[in-house]
Amino acid sequence: MRSTNLDAAIATGAPPQARSLPGTAAAILVPLAAFGALAGLLQVHEQWETGLLVLAFLAALVLLDRSRAGRSLAEACRTQSGIASTSAVLAALALLWTFREDHYSLLMVATVALYAVAGVGLNIQMAFGGIANFAAAAFFSIGAYTAAVLAGHTGLPHLLVLAAGGVVSALIGVVMLLPVLRTRGHYVALVTIAFGVLLRTLLEVNDTFGGPQGMKIPGFAPFGSDFGDVATIAGFDVSFYLPYALAAAALFALAFLAGRMLERSWVGIAMDAVRTDEIAASAFGLSPARWKATAFLTGNVLIGVAGALYGMMNGFVNPNGAGFGESLIMLSIIVLGGLGNFWGAIVAGAVIIILPEKLQSIQEYRLLIFAVVVIAILRFRPGGILPRPLRTLGRQQGGAS
Amino acid sequence: MTALLACSGLTKRFGGLVALDGLDFAVAQGETIGLVGPNGSGKTTFFNVLTGLYSPTSGAASLDAVDIFGKSPQSIGRAGVARTFQRCRLMLDQTVFDNIALGVLRAKPLGLLSTLFRRGRLRADLDATIARAHQLACRFNPQLGAALFRPAGDLTMIDRRRVEICRALIANPRLLLLDEPSAGMTPDETRRLMDDLLAFREEAPHLAVVLVEHEMDVIRRVSDRCVVLNFGRKIFEGLFDAMIEDREVQTAYLGSGQ
Ligand SMILES: Nc1ncnc2c1ncn2[C@@H]1O[C@H](COP(=O)(O)OP(=O)(O)O)[C@@H](O)[C@H]1O
Ligand SMILES: [Mg+2]
Repeated sequence: MRSTNLDAAIATGAPPQARSLPGTAAAILVPLAAFGALAGLLQVHEQWETGLLVLAFLAALVLLDRSRAGRSLAEACRTQSGIASTSAVLAALALLWTFREDHYSLLMVATVALYAVAGVGLNIQMAFGGIANFAAAAFFSIGAYTAAVLAGHTGLPHLLVLAAGGVVSALIGVVMLLPVLRTRGHYVALVTIAFGVLLRTLLEVNDTFGGPQGMKIPGFAPFGSDFGDVATIAGFDVSFYLPYALAAAALFALAFLAGRMLERSWVGIAMDAVRTDEIAASAFGLSPARWKATAFLTGNVLIGVAGALYGMMNGFVNPNGAGFGESLIMLSIIVLGGLGNFWGAIVAGAVIIILPEKLQSIQEYRLLIFAVVVIAILRFRPGGILPRPLRTLGRQQGGAS
Repeated sequence: MTALLACSGLTKRFGGLVALDGLDFAVAQGETIGLVGPNGSGKTTFFNVLTGLYSPTSGAASLDAVDIFGKSPQSIGRAGVARTFQRCRLMLDQTVFDNIALGVLRAKPLGLLSTLFRRGRLRADLDATIARAHQLACRFNPQLGAALFRPAGDLTMIDRRRVEICRALIANPRLLLLDEPSAGMTPDETRRLMDDLLAFREEAPHLAVVLVEHEMDVIRRVSDRCVVLNFGRKIFEGLFDAMIEDREVQTAYLGSGQ
């Protein structure tokens, strides 16, 4: 009896799901093309090449949105997200291997991946929980400082150091936020801004954590040997940034899966309900304060873990990284990428972190071009580069993600 | 007949304004009460106090002998009270299913660890809830059942109301509070919604309903008994025919320009 209803639900309630061959091909090719473009961006040296690539990227975005073929490509990736994700993972690995000896490119890719991990956390806070966190970089730095203290002064295994970075960042965040969780509107945002400024100033004037110079952090050595000493893998010469980039990518995969699992569950519905309408959510027994705290805490764990690994990769941390400007960059990444879409953080991370580097030689116009690109994207895609897909739950959903 | 919901002397003040003034109110199991009164007479405030969104100033309220006076929305919901809102309160960007599921969320395992690590149980639970939501939605409108995974923002006004009612019903409440469900709908849509409600009433004979409604034809059709509020006070309680004859009720409505 129940299964008859269920079948009816699946037969009637499911979105149209064409698992056609062209659809599958599209789900494989779109991520390949995206990572191909990233490889291109890492490779280019001439300004005109960069410019051409940016124009091609913008054109692709417009076509995805405005042309029928583009829309069906996007739709194919959504309905066959399992295939698209697999293709993306393989493409990412291929990209890392291609650039295996290139310090600079790998450093940038690892940075993008770690910012994207923080982006998943920020998305949980902002896109799901509805809390604008303007102190993301401060919590990211707390993760790094935790790593500096624990890895530098204790023998704690480094995987636990990463976890500790997340826990400390979450605890400090909750202590800061608890008093204002019951208020509505922009108070929470204001408190996060104040906290970021406070933390940075405190780190600068107080010498406990190294003052303005900051602290040194030992390299990441999860299995005994330091990533910084890695020079070959399977007989191939590699940059020591390759293991970092791989670890960053693995961390992103974990954060992505956890975030996705939370979104596609009762928890995700609860957060959406509290964010959209606190009154309706309360009337049905949800406590807005509890859910905002949960979103903030979960997000901060990811931000802190990402910061800890970032600190270990760079070998140092100083108060500059905790500043308001850095926090704004992290927020721009998730807004530009598409609030609530975790892949968006990778794409926008590439635009926001790598593009300005590539425009180095035209210093004076660099920020101008960068700003125009960001505005152009948001003008044509107000939901971001990759808008958040509709959550469709239940058995009709084919892949795990 | 013993009362399911029993309120006495229920009072709510907003500063100097007495929005609810010593209200005595009782609903029996299976009864439908039409709650009427001019705008600003305290009907919505009564619902908000009953469901714990506003904390009452004084009085008493119990549901089947369980004290619900001044309790949290969570515990009042658990006791068996569910409602809809005068202004539609749906998550328009989320699916119809997400919206209906909000009605049962408080009974679900909401821990982060169980969500991450007990996926099998979650999946089975989701499937069962989807089936239940589909069944409820289809009872009101088969097309609504088919739209379970469409954004709620795509729906017509009447279907949005139906989703709100499904969201209230999915937790099997004992008392259903409907705040002007026909607001913003055409007379024809109103009639269809009331048909739905009456049909559902047949299947759930123990459900008690309080319906706020301005359309007198609707009140006549669906309610067993009527209560009239004016300035937060109960000025009439009784059968529909007596209500429209009542002097005080007539002046309350005429006086406020209704
Ligand atoms: N949150 C509130 N704060 C102050 N006054 C309120 C609030 N809610 C309702 N009121 C007042 O209480 C009175 C009753 O309002 P309401 O219950 O919405 O009436 P009805 O639903 O019968 O039209 C009105 O005078 C209204 O202005
Ligand atoms: Mg009202």
